[in-house]
Amino acid sequence: MGKPADLLQGTLDLLILRTLGTGPKHGWAIAKRIGQVSDDVLQVTQGSLYPALHRLEHQGWLSAEWERTDGGRERKVYALTAAGRRQLAHEIRNWQRLSGAVGLVVREA
Amino acid sequence: MRPLTRLRHRVRALWHGADLDRDLNREIASHIDDEVEDLVARGVPIPEARRQAGLRFGSIPAATEAAREARSVSVLENFARDLRYGWRGLVRQPALLVAAVTSIALGVGANLTLFSLASHLLFSVPSAASPERLVQVRTGNGSHVPFRGWADLEASGVLEGVAGYRLEFSVNWRHGSDVTSVLPMLVTANYFDVVGVPVADGRAFGAAEARADLEPRLAVLTDRFRRRHFGRDDVVGRVLTFNDQPYTVVGVLPPGSRSMAPLGVEPDVYLPLAPSLAPAIAAPRTSVVQLIGRLAPGQSVEQARAALSVTASRLADDYGDPEFGVITHVGRVGGAGQTDAFDVVAVFFVVLMVVAGVVLLIACANVAGLLVARSAARRREVAMRVALGATRGRLLQQFLAESLLLSAAGAAGGLAVMSLAAAWLGRVSLPIPLPVQLHATLDGRLLAFGAALVVVSTLVSGLAPALHATRRATASGIRGGGGPAGRGRFGMRRVLVAGQVAASSLLLVIALVFVRNLLLTAEVDPGFDVDRVLVARVEFVEGRQGSAAGPVVERVLDRIRATPGVQSAAFTDSVPLTLFFGASVGTELRIGPGPDPVRADFNRSVIGPGFLETLGIAVRGREFTASDRSGAEPVAVVNDTFARQYFPGTDPIGQRIEDPRKDRPAAWTVVGIAGDSRYRTLGEGRVPALYLSGLQADAPDRLTHVVARTSGEPEAFGAQVREAVLAVDPSAVVTTETMESALAFAFLPSRIGAQVLGALGALGAALAMVGLHGVIAYSVSQRTPELGVRMALGASRRSVAALVVRESAGLVAVGLAVGLGLGLLATRPLAAFLVTGLNPSDPAAFAATAVLLVGVSLLAVWRPVRRATRINPLVALRTD
Repeated sequence: MGKPADLLQGTLDLLILRTLGTGPKHGWAIAKRIGQVSDDVLQVTQGSLYPALHRLEHQGWLSAEWERTDGGRERKVYALTAAGRRQLAHEIRNWQRLSGAVGLVVREA
Repeated sequence: MRPLTRLRHRVRALWHGADLDRDLNREIASHIDDEVEDLVARGVPIPEARRQAGLRFGSIPAATEAAREARSVSVLENFARDLRYGWRGLVRQPALLVAAVTSIALGVGANLTLFSLASHLLFSVPSAASPERLVQVRTGNGSHVPFRGWADLEASGVLEGVAGYRLEFSVNWRHGSDVTSVLPMLVTANYFDVVGVPVADGRAFGAAEARADLEPRLAVLTDRFRRRHFGRDDVVGRVLTFNDQPYTVVGVLPPGSRSMAPLGVEPDVYLPLAPSLAPAIAAPRTSVVQLIGRLAPGQSVEQARAALSVTASRLADDYGDPEFGVITHVGRVGGAGQTDAFDVVAVFFVVLMVVAGVVLLIACANVAGLLVARSAARRREVAMRVALGATRGRLLQQFLAESLLLSAAGAAGGLAVMSLAAAWLGRVSLPIPLPVQLHATLDGRLLAFGAALVVVSTLVSGLAPALHATRRATASGIRGGGGPAGRGRFGMRRVLVAGQVAASSLLLVIALVFVRNLLLTAEVDPGFDVDRVLVARVEFVEGRQGSAAGPVVERVLDRIRATPGVQSAAFTDSVPLTLFFGASVGTELRIGPGPDPVRADFNRSVIGPGFLETLGIAVRGREFTASDRSGAEPVAVVNDTFARQYFPGTDPIGQRIEDPRKDRPAAWTVVGIAGDSRYRTLGEGRVPALYLSGLQADAPDRLTHVVARTSGEPEAFGAQVREAVLAVDPSAVVTTETMESALAFAFLPSRIGAQVLGALGALGAALAMVGLHGVIAYSVSQRTPELGVRMALGASRRSVAALVVRESAGLVAVGLAVGLGLGLLATRPLAAFLVTGLNPSDPAAFAATAVLLVGVSLLAVWRPVRRATRINPLVALRTD
């Protein structure tokens, strides 16, 4: 088996935004959630997750806060901002258009 | 909103870069803890869980670096880090640092010096209030206009103000028993009011007090004149004697004040223009002053030109002087409008700047060569950084930061080089009787140029090595070692060195062509006998030079001729091949029996009896005698070329030359034919010349020359000639020198050309040789094992030396071929600067360049070759 499918350029942002659409999470939980929901087809390498999180935070689509867990450990929890929500809707539309188009080509060509 | 958030983040990131890195590390640690916890919950033992979590996360440094990039302040942040890092790396290799900085310092220094000279001589703006509203005005009369033309333009109110000035050759200044010649700027009464020259001490004179008809006796000194003669003393209120009249000093200009005179000429003193100093201001048709106008606020140059045209043409009608009515030039002061010689001087500087630019390129190639060698040694480091996630762009940034450091340090050194050169230039005295100030000063323009040089040399010296070092930055480099993988980089250095040799041979060829030119100039026969001739420049106070019937200089000559040891002596208005070479005349003359005037271009000198004999110029027929004076039949002597050109096929002696100009018709009978000589420059071809009798001139000039042929060393007669003049008129200024030293002026262009280009060529060649030495030394060190094997297998020292020499000979040969080829093209347009008869593709210069470069190349590779032959095979083999 080769590497788990390399994420299409740009789709990682969509996955992160979508995952956070259901509520704030920390980095590990985001990766875990993407893996679970996709039946482990999509594996987010952590080496690309954190740069992506920082980039999204930087663009103002995510806000982040350090929280202390019950076990006394610290986690950096990310949440969607209002701009992030708009971006999510935008990216979903883009994705649907793209996947629909690819699907058409796959079926018809 | 979003851009604002982003901006806040960037600023935060910039100031708190380290905090954010710590933040990220905390986050990664927390992630790994989560992973471990998750695995443990699924029954994986703790140590194994730790291992797996670590593996899954992948490269932590890569993630850190990527996250840092994502913060995108990295450009600035990284830049600061790169500078620190680069600096640490460079100081660890002081030899490289010194070599690179020295190379660039020399290259940049040469450029800065020439640039500041050019900017001072060509583009400096005169010291004035709002100089941007000052315009230079010229009419059909030429650069100067008649005095009344100025007065009427000013009275018409056509501009906010119109002033006039005249850079006079000299006035005589008597201090104590001494009389010396000083350079005055004669200005109209309103000059300081219109121009607004800043004054340091005292005040300037004003329009009301300095009117020409009042014969005002006021003076404003320049700082240089004051310092040279009075030190720090307060001179305002003192009375100085100029042309035997008392002038009161009212003010002193500040240091560095720039005059209206072109090309760095600075007068000693400003005096009000008055009939006693310049009698010509009374003549309605004689052009006396240059015009300077002040635009009204908001008035454009075009509007001013239109207004001036209207007023001037109305005045021209009144004067009956149509040329005054044509406004030929209205342009802001400074720059190209300052003098007709601007173009020639500008072209000269452009040539020099191009040459200096090539020197800088050679210096940059040196630095590039050093950096390439260094990057070979750093391959491991680069590969490591790539493996850790650094992008090529990031690496390029880092490499360029290093060359920026080198270039900036080099430019700082260049400024030091420039100030040394400036100090030296300040002491250079040119063999011309005008006080030209050579300044190389720091100003905004120079700093901007310096910054541009830093950018250029950073890119030229750094880009190629950086691209090269990062191109093959693959993980394989981590394995390290030198070996054949270094070949490609080394190939790049060879190209650089061949390029340097090419560039420096180009510079050397140009320089040697000019050296040849100088040598040939010295051999050119000036057409007269230079030995044992004394030249005295005599300046009378205006009005004391005598009359046409009896010039005072005749009485002076009687005394000089009576001096024992003086074989002959004569007066003349001109001395060939000096600044006072005579007049270049182009006019219509009726020559010989033909009825129609023909256009004649010739050099005109007005000479006294015995001049041609004194200079040893052969004459057929006769030269002027004491009886060729006013009242007698006007006579002329022509030279061979004049005779051949304008009297073809006939004997000119006894024939007539007429000047048919309506206002002043004149005619002469030719009585002699003089041998050709050089008049203006040694390089000129055959020039027609017309000599007129000084005793038949309209009126003697206050400036005249005496030439004397002596039996012994001419210097010894200087004092006697001076005494002879002062015995007749103690207010005259006498300057004596030998004809030989007077001719230094004629050698000046060739000398400057040969010296400056020779210095730049030598500098370029020296830099190229440093580069060659570096490459060959490096090559020998890389090939030590190979050479060791060869020697172990019985190769002789001789054959090993030949191997290394052959390698450098290849580089030098390619470079020379390219450089000399370019030289053939580049020297062609220089022909205009060269003595006639010197082929710009002078074979001697080309051959000498080849010999010189091969010679210094052998010197440059001498050390590496010796090292190669001393390789101990045993030691060499063990190093691999």
